[in-house]
Amino acid sequence: MTTAGLHRPAPGTVPARAAGARRQRAAAGCRLVRLYLVSRRVPVALALLAGLGAVLWAALHWRWNIAGGPAAREFIPLTIQTGAAAVIAVASYGPFGEPERAAGRWLPWLRLGAAVALTAIAFGILAAGAAAGRMPGGTLALLRDLGGMTGIGLLSAAVLGGAFGWVGPMVYLLIIEGALAHRSVTPWVWPARPPHDRGGAICACLVVAAALVLIAVRGPRESSRESGRAS
Amino acid sequence: MNVEIGEVTKRFGRTFAVAGVSLETGPGVLGLLGPNGAGKTTLLRMMATLIPPSSGSVRLLGRDPAGYGPRREIRRRLGYLPQNLGYYPGFTVAEFVEYFALLKEMPPGRVPQAVATAIERVELGGRARAKLRTLSGGMLRRAGIAQAIVNEPELLLLDEPTAGLDPEQRVAFRALLRDLGQRATVIVSTHLVEDVGAACSQVALMDAGQIVFHGTPDELAAGGEGSGAAGDAPLERGYSAVLAAHRSAGAAA
Amino acid sequence: MTAATSTPVRHRSPRVTWAVPRGARLLRVELLRSAMPWILPLIAALFWFDSYRPSTATAPLYGVRTFWNMGQGHTISDCGPFVAGVAAWMGSRDARRGLADLVTATARPRWAAQLVTWAATAIWAVAAYLLFACVMFASYAREGVGGTPPWWWVAVGATAVIAFSAAGFAVGAYWPSRFAAAVAAFGAAIAMYLSFQIGFSHASGWALILPTNSNGNFDGSALTDAGIFYRWLPDLPIARMMFLAGIAMAALGLTGLPGRAGGRRLRLGAAAVTLAGLTLAGTAVGLVRTADVTAHGVVIPALHDSSSDTPISYTPACGRAAGVAVCLNPAYRRWLPDVTAALAPVLAEVAGLPGAPVRATQVPAAYAGGSLVITMGGHPTVLHLSLGQLNLPGPCGFCAGPVAANQFIGWIRLLFAQSFVGAGQGAGRPAQQAVGAVLLRGAGIPFAAQPGLMASAENFAGPVSAGCPADTKTGCGPGPSTGAVYAAAGRLAAMPATARRAWLAGHLAGVRAGRVALRDLP
Repeated sequence: MTTAGLHRPAPGTVPARAAGARRQRAAAGCRLVRLYLVSRRVPVALALLAGLGAVLWAALHWRWNIAGGPAAREFIPLTIQTGAAAVIAVASYGPFGEPERAAGRWLPWLRLGAAVALTAIAFGILAAGAAAGRMPGGTLALLRDLGGMTGIGLLSAAVLGGAFGWVGPMVYLLIIEGALAHRSVTPWVWPARPPHDRGGAICACLVVAAALVLIAVRGPRESSRESGRAS
Repeated sequence: MNVEIGEVTKRFGRTFAVAGVSLETGPGVLGLLGPNGAGKTTLLRMMATLIPPSSGSVRLLGRDPAGYGPRREIRRRLGYLPQNLGYYPGFTVAEFVEYFALLKEMPPGRVPQAVATAIERVELGGRARAKLRTLSGGMLRRAGIAQAIVNEPELLLLDEPTAGLDPEQRVAFRALLRDLGQRATVIVSTHLVEDVGAACSQVALMDAGQIVFHGTPDELAAGGEGSGAAGDAPLERGYSAVLAAHRSAGAAA
Repeated sequence: MTAATSTPVRHRSPRVTWAVPRGARLLRVELLRSAMPWILPLIAALFWFDSYRPSTATAPLYGVRTFWNMGQGHTISDCGPFVAGVAAWMGSRDARRGLADLVTATARPRWAAQLVTWAATAIWAVAAYLLFACVMFASYAREGVGGTPPWWWVAVGATAVIAFSAAGFAVGAYWPSRFAAAVAAFGAAIAMYLSFQIGFSHASGWALILPTNSNGNFDGSALTDAGIFYRWLPDLPIARMMFLAGIAMAALGLTGLPGRAGGRRLRLGAAAVTLAGLTLAGTAVGLVRTADVTAHGVVIPALHDSSSDTPISYTPACGRAAGVAVCLNPAYRRWLPDVTAALAPVLAEVAGLPGAPVRATQVPAAYAGGSLVITMGGHPTVLHLSLGQLNLPGPCGFCAGPVAANQFIGWIRLLFAQSFVGAGQGAGRPAQQAVGAVLLRGAGIPFAAQPGLMASAENFAGPVSAGCPADTKTGCGPGPSTGAVYAAAGRLAAMPATARRAWLAGHLAGVRAGRVALRDLP
């Protein structure tokens, strides 16, 4: 082994080869992210979220939450948020199983980033849809409720498997319904609390944080035979 | 003749997966060899009545599968094992085989015995009540073979049946094929030339959607003698030689 | 693998007689391995939490207990999204597991195999729903809830479960994506909540067909005597079952349309099933547009059977109040002591006066309310009590709190007094108010407590609060206990009992007719 051909850069300059390597790494990183998102069917998830935004817009514009008391008026938007949370939860699992988990160190960051990004996009889409009319609770309530609901969905995916990540948000929706009807005050049913309520916000944040940590570190529950067949 | 195929083509977009194949075969075991993308799976799927040909004629078990009634009769007498076998993880081996026996409209009274026999024949009798998700890849493949043979088919189509089987199981499987071939037409698509040599009375070699050789394994092996073609065994050398000859003839044309 | 052979199989074209056993065996395999049982414990928990538990905080009458869970469809919403989601999962099973080709290559048409898969899914879901409903009603029965269970509405719920399973299955069969179950569950949820919301504003017409529209199947104020005095009318349940069955048929027919489902004739049959389902659903909507809300519920002329108009016969539960027989439907037996305690002092006050009732009997509450809780009439005068319109003592569901017995007693006395003086619905004219106030005072409710009592009974007694819009018929309330009405009442009450009774005997007819003014009181 010799040092022939070893080039030393002039002090203060970035060698062209190093800059090219950095560009290659960045491009590879983008490709990795893109492939990860495609493997999770994120494009379909985005289309579904856009559809939910349209449904919310229609619901507010044509006043689907047309009657009943304040609790009843919240319910259609809450149902739509539940749908968004369900989509994000189902988009958390991949088809590869063990080979992916054994592959390297980027997977937790990819999981975390995808969950956060999808939630942020969902919030943006639903906030845009809410521009059609008066969203009960306003944007702050939307952020809290959607975030917390997504946390429940991700927890559900971690426990039941990604394919059944929708179950948790649906159960929670029914719990909210009962709580609204019976004027429950527990902060764990944060959609029943006022938008600026601190207790409800704290509970929602706790759920989101726990879900993100769990999803990032462990990922959705997968059975060994589910991999390779998930569509 | 159980299989009569005349100048069949199958087109997907602008690609001819099968480009003019004629084949006739009766009881016995026919090995279908060829490189990846040769059209073997497409041909097998046409014979399994899953996809119609773009042109040409197909008669299976004396019937035209284009008609619904005849197609249904063919399917009652058909056994099919695809290359990528799906399964229901929660089913047991016995339930999986029984499920397909019932779908094949076997007389219900005969189903339990037929299921037990099929499972025994693939040596999964001790795992009949095991859930499919607990089986190894090779065992899953054997479960797939069991569902294909449960109805004692007159036409048995197997796509890569020995994938995942260990050598001992492959030997046993070849014996099973020979036995089945005494009464039925068995067509085996495989990459494993030694399977063809051991179990098949005929072999057809496909390339680029066409059959470039149809004869006995000995004839295929003879085609490689003295040709200098690549291969560690006579059949492999025959395979390589025939392919090379076909491709060079095609290039010259 | 062995080369052991068996005798060659002689295949025969299957006769119809083989079809049932083979189908039953397929169904057995599918039932054993369906994914639906895994979600049932969750549905059971939701059923308990959302359908059963809230109902126990209401009066023990079937009409009231089942308003929330059957009337507003919570039993359906507890099941529907999850059934739809799991059914979508099962519908997409063959494609997800890579078995679509293999199943297609068998003799049995793929649609037939799919229908068996769906049937197993639906059987689990419906059986669970019926079990949960029966356990709930058994619990009610053990508690002695009055009336008869609304079995027709249980049947509607079961049909809704079938419809959700069929619709979800079709979603999964057509779109074997990972999102199919979530989309099906969400679709079911949004459909039910829209149906529920529409019920707030549409109490008639096409909207009655929606499965969680509580108008028309249960009185909006949940105080009907259906299943107690008169039968639960089956008209609307039948129409809803037709609608839901039509949706189920259409969804299942759709799964038979793709080319791989089977032969041409079978697919034509599937198309016919789809059309038949849509026709059935459309017919149901058309029928419900002809519905009439009668005193006993929704009547749809084309579906109505006059035998369901036959009242439910019963042996009344009777007591006595100031010597007057008070008889209630046995479903209300537990409140008889409260009713007799409420009526005894007022009946004693008016005993011997013109129009004093000689007997009190309960009459059924009518759908959509509007009738008076207490009326008196006939010769001899009989007091008619429509208890079904009142909040009864004990748990009150969505009230601010349980109804105290003395509160209920106060309402009965107030309504009696209003009826006796001819005020009807509302506070009446000033002279009627004054005479009524005197009667209430004699029955143990001092003047100072009476305005508050009237305010609490506003839902039943009509507008009585000070400042209410002037109404020539009903007028506003008597005002504060220091006002003119109570001053006149005070003067009347201060008379010796004999003189007061004599004056009332001579002037009650005029008071009731509105001919006596406040200044005419002694």
